[in-house]
Amino acid sequence: MIYLDNAATTPMDPEVLDVVQESMRKDFANSGTVYSLGLDAKQRIEEAENQIRESLSIPQNFKIIFTSGGSESNNLFIKGYGFPDKRVASSGLDHPSVSQTLEAFRESGNEPVSLLSYQKEGRLDLSALPHLKARKVRLLCLSHVNNELGSVNDPATLLPALAEQSPQTRLFLDGVQAVGKLKPQPRMWQGLAGYSISGHKINGPKGIGLLIVDEKLELKPQIHGGQQQHKLRAGTLPVPLIVGLAHAVKKAVEITDETLKNNQRLFRHLVAGLKNLADQNPDMDIQYNSSLSEDVSRQSPSILNFRFAPVEGEVILHHLEENEIYVGMGSACSAHSKEPSKILTGVGLTPEEARCSLRISFGPQNTIAEVDAFLAAFDDAYRQLFSTFNRKTASR
Amino acid sequence: MSDRRTVLVRYDEIGLKGKNRGQFIDRLLNNIKDQMRDVEGLEFKVPHGRIFIYCCEESAGECLRRLQKIPGVASASIGVTREPDFDAMAAVGREWIEPLLQDGKTLKFCVRTNRADKSYPYKSPEIDREVGSRILRELHPKGLEVNIKESDFVLEIEIGQEETVVFNNRVPGLRGLPVGSSGEVLGLISGGIDSPVALYRMLKRGCRAHGIFFDNRPFMGRGGYDKVIKLSKLLNGFQRKSRLYVVPFEDIQVAIRDNCRPAHRVVLYRRMMYRIAQRVAQQNRCLALVTGESVGQVASQTLENLSAVSQVVSMSVFRPLIGMNKQEIINEAKELGTYEFSIEPHPDCCSVFMPPRPATRAKIPDLERDETRFGWSSLMQEAIEKMECIELDALTV
Repeated sequence: MIYLDNAATTPMDPEVLDVVQESMRKDFANSGTVYSLGLDAKQRIEEAENQIRESLSIPQNFKIIFTSGGSESNNLFIKGYGFPDKRVASSGLDHPSVSQTLEAFRESGNEPVSLLSYQKEGRLDLSALPHLKARKVRLLCLSHVNNELGSVNDPATLLPALAEQSPQTRLFLDGVQAVGKLKPQPRMWQGLAGYSISGHKINGPKGIGLLIVDEKLELKPQIHGGQQQHKLRAGTLPVPLIVGLAHAVKKAVEITDETLKNNQRLFRHLVAGLKNLADQNPDMDIQYNSSLSEDVSRQSPSILNFRFAPVEGEVILHHLEENEIYVGMGSACSAHSKEPSKILTGVGLTPEEARCSLRISFGPQNTIAEVDAFLAAFDDAYRQLFSTFNRKTASR
Repeated sequence: MSDRRTVLVRYDEIGLKGKNRGQFIDRLLNNIKDQMRDVEGLEFKVPHGRIFIYCCEESAGECLRRLQKIPGVASASIGVTREPDFDAMAAVGREWIEPLLQDGKTLKFCVRTNRADKSYPYKSPEIDREVGSRILRELHPKGLEVNIKESDFVLEIEIGQEETVVFNNRVPGLRGLPVGSSGEVLGLISGGIDSPVALYRMLKRGCRAHGIFFDNRPFMGRGGYDKVIKLSKLLNGFQRKSRLYVVPFEDIQVAIRDNCRPAHRVVLYRRMMYRIAQRVAQQNRCLALVTGESVGQVASQTLENLSAVSQVVSMSVFRPLIGMNKQEIINEAKELGTYEFSIEPHPDCCSVFMPPRPATRAKIPDLERDETRFGWSSLMQEAIEKMECIELDALTV
């Protein structure tokens, strides 16, 4: 099996799996109880939290809240902080857990500001900042790394520019696709309002994520019913998942340099390979939806999104599946909807172009040989399918 | 003995069948036994006009639940067998009614008797009166009243030649005929809303309805296949022993897409599906094809296109939904329980195969000309050779 859909989810790292299994056996107690068994569980959580804080250099003035994953973290922050009356803005190229959460604002009469017209290659252009000031936007929600395109909104550039040009606007980043893929930026914390992370995108367990939030901000809880986690998120804490998440974060950060280098190699190899296929086949036209920039402050090499009209992405995907090669079609969460991806049409693709796209996303386990196997299978499938999809030969 | 129950099964249409009546009843009894195969301690008896199932109190509810899903059952009730003695019958009524009485409230009741055994010395209204008055005598002080027209509780008595059963509730069955009594049919099932309803209607007419699915993999994913298996399993719950044939269809669709006029594609696909279905039906002793088509619903279902499709087969094609509106079909699918599965978003056809403007009135000579442009006969043979046959009883998940 060749798995090239790591932006959808990742396989569990065996070390993390061991840690989770051991903790599941041992740490069953409720961390809210007062006997020593419960206090031990509480200690495991505190150790995990410290571990995460250290790995990601999160300063003490940020709270760490464990959630069920990236979607919940985004919901908790955006609704908990902004709803109902803070003016919010987004890039218009967001994961549904951001864009659909913003719908709640629209329904309550607080129309979110869309910055879609200020996007460039899937990134927010700095020319949007005066607009934020003029519209008195209090909260700007962006993806650190876009889940479909891999485009980067770089906090190192954005935060100082925001401070200068629209100081009343706080920045929230969805970091789900960034951790373990891009080098950590310890300095970004001091300007950020919040940041979300998901365990299963970094070879950790599913069902666990993080919201990291500036302690000065007042958040309203979205799940009620207990005193846990600064009263911000009720519910008994899943100690084994938390311990597993901490281990996954630690490992992902430790190998980030290596992963980044590997991803860059794979990305280059894939782009060169696709170019080679197109050069040899007059019927194949490859266009890139992702930027090919090698500047990691603009494009993460973990994701390459490209198109190849007239053949449909989903059909290629299923042909690759026959060879046990798994790739992504837009965002995994909406792959079953017949509507083309809003992110791809958002960066200017026609619905047909969006349907003729695939997303390849790398994880630390992927190799050059796997990319070669993908290229060969893609070429076969494309050659097999081209005449069927080519209107000129079919319409008689 | 007090926990022993008699489940009364009534049938109606079978009652109309002249000399074949015995066969129909045997078929129904066998189907009931088959559906109850894992319920322990059941005994069956077939007195005139009824089927009785004797069981313990705990099993009676489960029997009733399953009987509601067996075609041929008109209604069923849980009762108890008693001597045809007024005091014994009244005692059952008192036992059931007393817990329902509440302080300060009246409860209206009546007794209704069906006297099948005409040798019994009292007539039905007399029995009603005798039993009713015995119950009333004891429970009137606690708020029980007689009201024949608007009763809260109806105590029913059936006095048969062999035994007398007292019961108080009738749950409706599916009616129709027992599966297998009319032979076997093969239904084209797509995963949409209509075809499962069409098959369901046929199985209620006593047909064992097998399914045939034309699989779009690898153009589409496994989602459509999984969905059709779920639908087929649900339908198999009403009939058992049914099969699903899965025919790989992509090569045929590609050949039509690549070689024939775009406007004709859909009708040409349907003609190939019908041809294959007929061949599979003939090989498996099915006597007719069944589809979920209804006039004018989509381009392939105009009168012209329906006849252009039917023309390629000699076998009967039944379309039980032909005169139904979409909403009526949806309502029936919801009642049947297939709707929720059918609307799962797994497209059953890749958009590349859909023509921009499908012909609504395809002419048969034009279609036949198109069919000379690809070797449909060998493609059909190949598809049937690669066909998968799933015994739905054998599926455990």
